Amino acid sequence: MTEYRILLVDDDPDFAASTTALLQSAGHSVLWAKTGEEALRMARQDRPDLILLDVMLSERTEGFFVLQEIRRDTELKDIPVIVISSIYAECPGFRVSPEKDWLPAERFLAKPVDPITLITEVRRVVEEKGKGEGR
Amino acid sequence: MKFVKMKKEELDFFVSVLSAFGEVHAPIRRGQQVVIGTPARWSDVCLEYARTTLPPKKYVLPPREVMFTFDGAKGYQDLLNEARKPIVLFGVHSYDIYSLNILDTVFLGGSYKDPYYSTRRENLAVIGIDFQPDEHHFAYSTDTDFVDHGFDLFFHDIGDFYLVRVGTSRGDDMANKSGCLFMAPEEKDFKEFKRRSAQRRAAYVTHVDLRDLPEILEMEYRSHIWEEIGERCLSCGTCSFVCPTCYCYDVRDECSIGDRCGQRSRYWDSCLYRTHALVAGGENFRKDRASRIKFRYYHKQRGFVAEYGRPSCVGCGRCIVACPAKIDIVSVIMAVRGEKDAHGNKDFGSKSL
Repeated sequence: MTEYRILLVDDDPDFAASTTALLQSAGHSVLWAKTGEEALRMARQDRPDLILLDVMLSERTEGFFVLQEIRRDTELKDIPVIVISSIYAECPGFRVSPEKDWLPAERFLAKPVDPITLITEVRRVVEEKGKGEGR
Repeated sequence: MKFVKMKKEELDFFVSVLSAFGEVHAPIRRGQQVVIGTPARWSDVCLEYARTTLPPKKYVLPPREVMFTFDGAKGYQDLLNEARKPIVLFGVHSYDIYSLNILDTVFLGGSYKDPYYSTRRENLAVIGIDFQPDEHHFAYSTDTDFVDHGFDLFFHDIGDFYLVRVGTSRGDDMANKSGCLFMAPEEKDFKEFKRRSAQRRAAYVTHVDLRDLPEILEMEYRSHIWEEIGERCLSCGTCSFVCPTCYCYDVRDECSIGDRCGQRSRYWDSCLYRTHALVAGGENFRKDRASRIKFRYYHKQRGFVAEYGRPSCVGCGRCIVACPAKIDIVSVIMAVRGEKDAHGNKDFGSKSL
C-alpha cells in the first residue's frame, strides 16, 4: 500500500483524531494543523503529498483564504488539496456550488465524509497529481 | 446601470468566490497604515479606512518594471506574461477608481497605447466601496467623490446591505458566479442610498475651488510663494509616489557587458528630483527646488487641464498626510488665491499634522 504524507487542517480535535486514525489505518502518515497560519508553516516545512483543508477554522471562510495562499506560493502551489467542510450545512445562505469553477481545489467533500469515500478520494487525487511514489 | 444588493454579513463569502476572477487584493492594516495587499484571512481586510499608503496605480504602473530583455542571440523578449496575471482589487475608493481612469487617458489614449500598462489594466478587476471623508479628503471639490465608470462592481453601504452597481460584464459575471448572495433591490434601498450619499457629501470639511485655478496659476507664475515653498520642500519625491495620478517614470538599460545581454526597466520618477529636468549636455531646466515644486502644481492643476480637460488631482489627501515637510496642497492653493486656509493662516503648511 502506498503511503502518502497528508497534512490535515482542522480546528476540531475530534474530527482530526478520527480522520487521522482512518488515514493511518490506510497506511498514510498524518500531520495536523489547527489554524491556517500553522498549516502554511507546516506545508512549507514538510511538503506533504496532499492537504485536507477545512474551511471554517477560526473564521468561517479562513480555509478559502488559506487555499488562495497555497496557490500563490510557488513552493506549495502544486500540492493537491481536498477541501472537507460542513460550510454548506452550517451556513445555508452560502449556496455557491464548489463545482462552479471558483474553488482552486482538486475536490470538495461535504462533512460528514464517508470513510471509504475519503480513502478513495485521497488516493485518486494524489495519483492524478502524479505523486505515486511511496515513502 | 444594473443594481443589485447583498447582505453585508455575506461579504466574506463573496470575496471568497472572487478568487475565480483573479488573485484578490484588498486594503489590509499593517501597523498604523493601511496598504493594498493579499489578505491571509477575512478579518485582515479593512474596509473602513481613510486612504491606503500607496495608491492602486502600483498595479498598472509598478514602482519598478522590467519591460523586456535583450540578448545578442535571442533578440528582444518582452515580459508581458507577468502582467497578464489576473488581479481583483477589492475595496477601492471612488477617487482611486477615478485616478485609474485618468491614467487610462494618458497610457491608452492617443495613437500609441502602452502595452505594459494596457496588459495589466485589462487583467485588473476593480471593485469599489464607499468611504467616509476625513479632514484631508477634498474629493468633493475635485468631483471624484462619485465615479460612474472604471469599476466592475461598486458597493454602497445602506445599513444591513450593500447596494451594488454593476459596471461591466465582468462585474455581472462576478455577481452571477456568486448566485444566491445577490438579490434585487427595493425602493427603500434606493431611498437609503440617496440619504447616505447626501450625508457623505455634507461630511466634507475641506473644500477648494478649482474652477479658475489654471488662470490664477497663470497670473501667479512669478509669485514669491513658489520660493517660500521651495525653501520648505525636501525634493524627496514622496508626494509623487503616493499620488494616484503621478506617472513620470525613468527608463534604464542594464547591460551585462560580457554576456552581451541585458534588460530595460522603468522606475517611478519624480519631478521633484534634481535630475528630472536634466538633459544631455548638462543643462538642467529646473535646477532649484522652487521651480520644481512650482512645476508639479502647474502640471497637475494647469497643464493637465489644458491637455485632458480636468486637473489630475483627485483630492485623496495622500500628499498632505505623507509630506515630511508638511506642505499642504490645499493651503498652497488657497495661498496662491490670496485666501486664508482653514486655520485662518495665509501660510501653506499643514498645521494639523
